[in-house]
Amino acid sequence: MQTTTRIAPDLPAPALRQALLATLRTVSPQLHVVVDEEGLRPFETDAFISHRETPMLAVLPESEEQVRAVVRACARHGVPVVTRGAGTGISGGAIPRQDGVLLVMSKMRRVVEVDPLLRAAVVEPGVRNLKVSEVAAPHSLFYAPDPSSQLICSIGGNVAENSGGVHCLKYGLTTHNLMAVRAIDADGDILEMGSRALDAAGLDLMALITGSEGNLGVVTRVTVKLTPLPERTETLLAAFGSVRSAAEAVGEIIGAGVIPAALEMMDRVVIEACERFMAMGFPVGAEALLLAEVDGGFEEAGEALAQVRAILERNGASEIRVAVSEVERAGLWRARKGAFAALATILPDFYTIDGTIPRRCLPDVLERIVELAAEYGMTVGNVFHAGDGNIHPCIFYDAMKPGELERSEEFGGRILELCVEVGGTITGEHGVGLEKLKQMCVQFRDPEIAAFHDVKHAFDPRDIMNPGKAVPTLKRCAEWGGTHVRAGQVPRPDIPRF
Amino acid sequence: MSTAPTPSAIDERPARQARVAACLARSLPAASVLVEREALKPYECDGLSAYRETPLVAALPVSESEVAAVLAVAREAKVPVVARGSGTGLSGGALPLADGILMSLAKFNRIIEVDPLGRRARVQPGVTNLKISQHVAPLGLYYAPDPSSQIACSIGGNVAENSGGVHCLKYGLTVHNITRVRAMAIDGEVLELGAEALDAPGYDLLALVTGSEGLLAITLEVTVKLLPKPELAQVVMASFANVEQAGEAVANVIAAGIVPAGLEMMDKLATRAVEGFVHAGYDLEAEAILLAESDGSKEEVEHEIGKIIEVMRASGATDIRCSASELERLKFWSGRKAAFPAVGRISPDYYCIDGSIPRGALALVLRRTEEMSVRYGLRCANVFHAGDGNLHPLILYDANVPGELERTEAFSAELLELCIEVGGTITGEHGVGIEKINQMCTQFRTAELAQFHAVKAAFDPEGLLNPGKAVPTLNRCAEYGAMRVSRGQLPHPELPRF
Repeated sequence: MQTTTRIAPDLPAPALRQALLATLRTVSPQLHVVVDEEGLRPFETDAFISHRETPMLAVLPESEEQVRAVVRACARHGVPVVTRGAGTGISGGAIPRQDGVLLVMSKMRRVVEVDPLLRAAVVEPGVRNLKVSEVAAPHSLFYAPDPSSQLICSIGGNVAENSGGVHCLKYGLTTHNLMAVRAIDADGDILEMGSRALDAAGLDLMALITGSEGNLGVVTRVTVKLTPLPERTETLLAAFGSVRSAAEAVGEIIGAGVIPAALEMMDRVVIEACERFMAMGFPVGAEALLLAEVDGGFEEAGEALAQVRAILERNGASEIRVAVSEVERAGLWRARKGAFAALATILPDFYTIDGTIPRRCLPDVLERIVELAAEYGMTVGNVFHAGDGNIHPCIFYDAMKPGELERSEEFGGRILELCVEVGGTITGEHGVGLEKLKQMCVQFRDPEIAAFHDVKHAFDPRDIMNPGKAVPTLKRCAEWGGTHVRAGQVPRPDIPRF
Repeated sequence: MSTAPTPSAIDERPARQARVAACLARSLPAASVLVEREALKPYECDGLSAYRETPLVAALPVSESEVAAVLAVAREAKVPVVARGSGTGLSGGALPLADGILMSLAKFNRIIEVDPLGRRARVQPGVTNLKISQHVAPLGLYYAPDPSSQIACSIGGNVAENSGGVHCLKYGLTVHNITRVRAMAIDGEVLELGAEALDAPGYDLLALVTGSEGLLAITLEVTVKLLPKPELAQVVMASFANVEQAGEAVANVIAAGIVPAGLEMMDKLATRAVEGFVHAGYDLEAEAILLAESDGSKEEVEHEIGKIIEVMRASGATDIRCSASELERLKFWSGRKAAFPAVGRISPDYYCIDGSIPRGALALVLRRTEEMSVRYGLRCANVFHAGDGNLHPLILYDANVPGELERTEAFSAELLELCIEVGGTITGEHGVGIEKINQMCTQFRTAELAQFHAVKAAFDPEGLLNPGKAVPTLNRCAEYGAMRVSRGQLPHPELPRF
């Protein structure tokens, strides 16, 4: 394994900051730089708000040239660079460093081109996710990945985190919806990755940089695939008397060869919160709700609807509502999309976990989470992408009560380890960031972690790009391993301990 | 096109060969280590038979531990290793090295496990592509990517080249149809790449290894996605009075929001060659024909075929026929699948090109190809995946006519560079191998090539895995660039020249 060596800044912090500022003003006089405490405050954290840090400086470039100038200046002074999109990430990938520059991409938000024949749009990284679908709509096209934050989250951030959304069961994650990405590497050079054609020659650096959480380069331009808007969309909501029967229905739908555009589940805790918050008129006593959407050609969607409906009935759905108008459809989605807001009414704080499990394990894992909740004496609600096995348990706590935050984090960690245990992963669509560094040691063995570091080193030998995020050092894994002895097995026995 | 060995290398060769063979024989059965010239003959080349080389030895491992043993010998003796699947690759990726081990994985070919519910199969690298589909056919499932060589080509080779096929317009390339790869790095470490779940944390090494042409690791096991066999498939055959019109019809199909399961074009030279060979029932008066397939449920296919016919008619098709039975559908396809051997019957030699272009450039590129054909005085047949812009022009030549091979190579280089000029790439589905190594210099700038080398070095610092393939050295590009100055622009101007 290569060891990544960051050039230790040779100046004390205030002097380094002055030197960097001077360089930036020389090489890029027009660059917008934020230096004052007040101006830096909004950039202290992303949506992983339990961690905060004030960056040395924040810069808001308006062009690729300015991005290159910033990266080169930082490389010259050995100052880390953390890139931030809209700051909606929930694993802390964009949390700044006190000794680093925060590169805020929000001013680079031009839609460069929409090419309906190619079914592609070329956009700058600061363009909002929803904006892409808005500009594609006149051509009867849309951009498929739709994270819940799509109103504000940026395409650059989506690439960094390989974001998903409720429709990724059918349409895939960000990585499946990209044609080309242009990025600035740690030397300030431009890397052109992918192509406008189906295949690209050379190693697939585009897939590598997608989901790399700002560790390998700064994305400056993205060519996204656009998808034809479906001819017909059908949405239905089904109530179940138990979580298990709802989960079994999910398995059967997928098993029947239907690929719904979305297949979402909510449990009783969430249903009741939504009911209190939005008065949805859900059946009283339902333990689980499934929200299914099918789309496609007119016949295709009609057929899928009939199939899904039959399976839901067969699995004991107590009530099924099919939206008969666009208004009703929006109403059904309101509960799902508003669920997180509704959950905020249960307790002052909640912690959303993001893990993925094989679909067949859904009923068992959900039951196990309920048991763990009892063990920790905490409430947990489930609202998630059931179709692709991407679970989002929400743990409720009160940060004002001593120890509750720590307990919720430990509980969350146990859930993620459970995901790994059943053959799943510790991320679904939110990334690793700072939040799940520890669980990376559970997910991977040494050779894979070492390979990640080798790849990182190949892009960023001096470790200036978002250091310390996404991939833990082997040493940290060894330290954490000591605290995670389970069932008599020491994880990672091949690492020397101290 | 082998380089002549130096006299001292000739002297050393037998000793070196004996030493490497003896080391291999410690871990592999005698029958799995080949040294005799006769025995090595079948391994001299892959599907790019214009290039040949006799390897030092060939090793035929059938298990993970035997692969590990081969790699250990390569490390100790510092000899390079070229991995080979079935040897059907068309870009020379499995061309042996005179001083290296050729590792054939064709006998490492067990289907380990099929999970019908999860729709997955776990297979060893030597399993042939078609074998997977045949094996799971009783479950109503199949493996979607279908290169024309599917009867012989191996899944390990498919991963190495990121192979496509006629159905990849709808179903994607190999990378879109695999969930996990178990691979061995040159140091003998096993890497588990990818995940059963939709997303995997860490860098996307699965995508990186896919299409890396044996440069990064040896594939030991592949988990492929299986799809339910569509209820019905039908194909429309449309005739056009000129090639450009057919190109426009392709664009119109896509613009209408249709994603056919396959959308292929053949020009008159190709249809006539085919008709004399398999009697597929093609319209021989047409300058070009399009084959458009729709698959899915009965209603869905009916609806889509209707739309396709409508678009073809509006695009000026002179004749339209639709397969009335499965038998007729297969007959229509038989011509397409037999096109290459059929062309082989009308010309002593042919050279197949593989490039991708944005669909919008189809008509333009076809017109320019015709111009080049006249200029070089060589016939060119067009048979290709039109829907995804993956071109396969076949240049017909006679190697016995002095100068024809050279003219063919110049024609092909000009065509590939045209692909780049219109925003496409120099590969569609055949990889770079040794064939297109020079065009890589045109496709990429120094920053990207340097990054490919850095990633290669991260996995294989000593350059023992398939060295010299897929990614050209910067020196080679400087030399190639010096020979080809286009439009007054010197490629890679920053490189020193000699």
